[in-house]
Amino acid sequence: MIPTTFSEDLIKILFVLVLGTAALLIFRRTLKALFTIYAVQSLLIALIALVLFAKERSVVLLFVALLTIATKVFLIPRVLRRIQKSMHLRRDLEFRYLTPTSSVAVSTGLIFLVYNTFDRFLSEISNDRLFFFGAVIGISLCLIGMLVISTRKTMITKILGYLTMENGVLLFSIFIAELPFIIELLIILDLVMLIVLATILAFGVDSTIEEFHQKLNSFTLWFKE
Amino acid sequence: MMLARLNSATSRNSLYNWLSITHAGIYLILTFILLGSGRFPAYFLSNQYFFVDSLGAYEVLISSTIFVLAALYARGYVDGLLHHGEIDAGEIQLFYIALNSLFVTVVYAFFSNNMALFWILLEITTLLSAILIVTLNAKENITAALKYLFTASTAMLFSIIGLIILFAITKGANGGSGTLNWNLLMEQANGLSPSLLTLAFILIFIGFAAKAGIVPFHTWLPQAHAKAPSVISVLLSAVLLNIGIYGILRMYAVVHQTSAVHSISVLLIAFGILSIEIAAFSMLPRSNIKKLIAFSSIEHMGFILVGIGIGTPLAIFWVMFHTLAHALVKTLLFFSAGILHQQYRGNKFEKMEDALLLQPLASWGFIIGSLAVIGTPLFPIFLSKLFILEQLGSYSLPLLFLVLALFLLVAAAFATILIRTFSQKNGHEKIVRYKASWSMKLSMTLVLAAILTLGVYFPSGLSDILNSIVANLGFRG
Repeated sequence: MIPTTFSEDLIKILFVLVLGTAALLIFRRTLKALFTIYAVQSLLIALIALVLFAKERSVVLLFVALLTIATKVFLIPRVLRRIQKSMHLRRDLEFRYLTPTSSVAVSTGLIFLVYNTFDRFLSEISNDRLFFFGAVIGISLCLIGMLVISTRKTMITKILGYLTMENGVLLFSIFIAELPFIIELLIILDLVMLIVLATILAFGVDSTIEEFHQKLNSFTLWFKE
Repeated sequence: MMLARLNSATSRNSLYNWLSITHAGIYLILTFILLGSGRFPAYFLSNQYFFVDSLGAYEVLISSTIFVLAALYARGYVDGLLHHGEIDAGEIQLFYIALNSLFVTVVYAFFSNNMALFWILLEITTLLSAILIVTLNAKENITAALKYLFTASTAMLFSIIGLIILFAITKGANGGSGTLNWNLLMEQANGLSPSLLTLAFILIFIGFAAKAGIVPFHTWLPQAHAKAPSVISVLLSAVLLNIGIYGILRMYAVVHQTSAVHSISVLLIAFGILSIEIAAFSMLPRSNIKKLIAFSSIEHMGFILVGIGIGTPLAIFWVMFHTLAHALVKTLLFFSAGILHQQYRGNKFEKMEDALLLQPLASWGFIIGSLAVIGTPLFPIFLSKLFILEQLGSYSLPLLFLVLALFLLVAAAFATILIRTFSQKNGHEKIVRYKASWSMKLSMTLVLAAILTLGVYFPSGLSDILNSIVANLGFRG
């Protein structure tokens, strides 16, 4: 078991890095870079889960970390890159409602808002500061993901926003209460299916109907297996 | 070669369709047997993640009835889509796989004891229904499906946050082992912190309300219901919206036993009335009959939410009856709209010339459905509306008058569409009559008979089931 203060400091560093990836997601325009940032963000969250496992010895955390690495660090970015290749889209240049700089400012505001709100409620569950920070950053990541969905125009970037939200929920659950492993597994599987379908639909918006239906049929064959 | 391909697709449609009708039919028969046996609740798996109680069985009864009718209707409807090239021959298999998978997922969702498992199954229904929406060869369907996927899934993420908080609260209250099993939540409700329970409920409500089409999370609904093939619109409106409401009802039953119920009731009634209001005003300028029916679904879900918020045993009793009545009436409306769509290749009333002459069954189906959906006496929705409004009057008289005024707007919207649609006269070229298949006519006749019967005859068996649901949910007089 690693020393408590060392693990707590390590987790705090990882929290800051996670917030850094969230900021990058808000204003980076190149799609490949966005996919990599998402993969790095997921890896950081998996590392947080691993450090917590080393601290608390809860096996569910280990499985969640491994599952996150397998799906969110490797599988989902691979699916996104494949769809992006067939869409011939390299950059998402347009922003809606907010510029990148103001989006980062709004995100900072959201983090403070979540901090103040949770300060009132979470003490009833636990007084642990790390638990509190994990919850705040988890929900903040979720809200930042929503911001990405509303300010970016391309469907692929909106999907990344949704994935960021889901990362936020995962981070929140690691600290507040890990659900039973079978539930976590089913949630991840559901997420993978959702992302594959959403990317096929996103492809369909830009392609011809025939090409879209070909991709949809191959998705169902995978789904049948 | 095109003709040969079409014939092959038609015979495949026929085979898959019979399998689907049989599949749904088996579930329907089994549910009748289950409800007749009355051996509730029954738990499954060592962790009790699944269970069967009277509420779950009743909802599965409604769902399997609607699925049998929809599968029967789909026989002729999908043939029509094939002939007009609105669906590819290669998509038939995908359509029926998604349809039957959706039905199984719905059944398991209603039989989930564990709320996290219920959440997962609800997400899967979103995926499957999005696939069903895009089986049609139209770009607008892809946009509608994407909007549906995004809105529902984003809202559902808030629900899972709420469920995680709920899990943490129960862990804290039990000293170590948390639970999201509904039966255990009901037992432990009194020991949970009301403020945290309220926070958890509000977050959970966001996702389930989005699935149920409650304002302001309803933005996906009008487009999805209008663009989807009519047989899928039936399932979206009559079954899938019910699952969202079911989730809210289960959670409300837990909250009802604590002091948090007062603020939550106000929340539910407020959102319910907001939904009725937005739906009523949105219905007035409509020219697309499927969008009109879609907004009517929002209105009815809002009304059901008001009934749940009132929370008296009588209100919950009639809410459950309203679920059944609404499902049947929406089925009739969308079936009629489907035939009219096949006749006029569109959903706008301006195109529907000589509808009463060309499609008397669909036209009368739409007229009777419209009368039924606004709550005209001798139709089932009249009964549930009357009694829920009576309960609302006991709760707050100004709110009763507000809701009545909104219902007047809804009636005006339907009256306008009816008058405009069925007074469209053909002055120009001859319109070729679309021959609706026997399966479409049979399904429409069956649902019409069910509505007319339920409006004047209230089976005692149904009364027993609804009373046991009210008691099991903890709403006692």
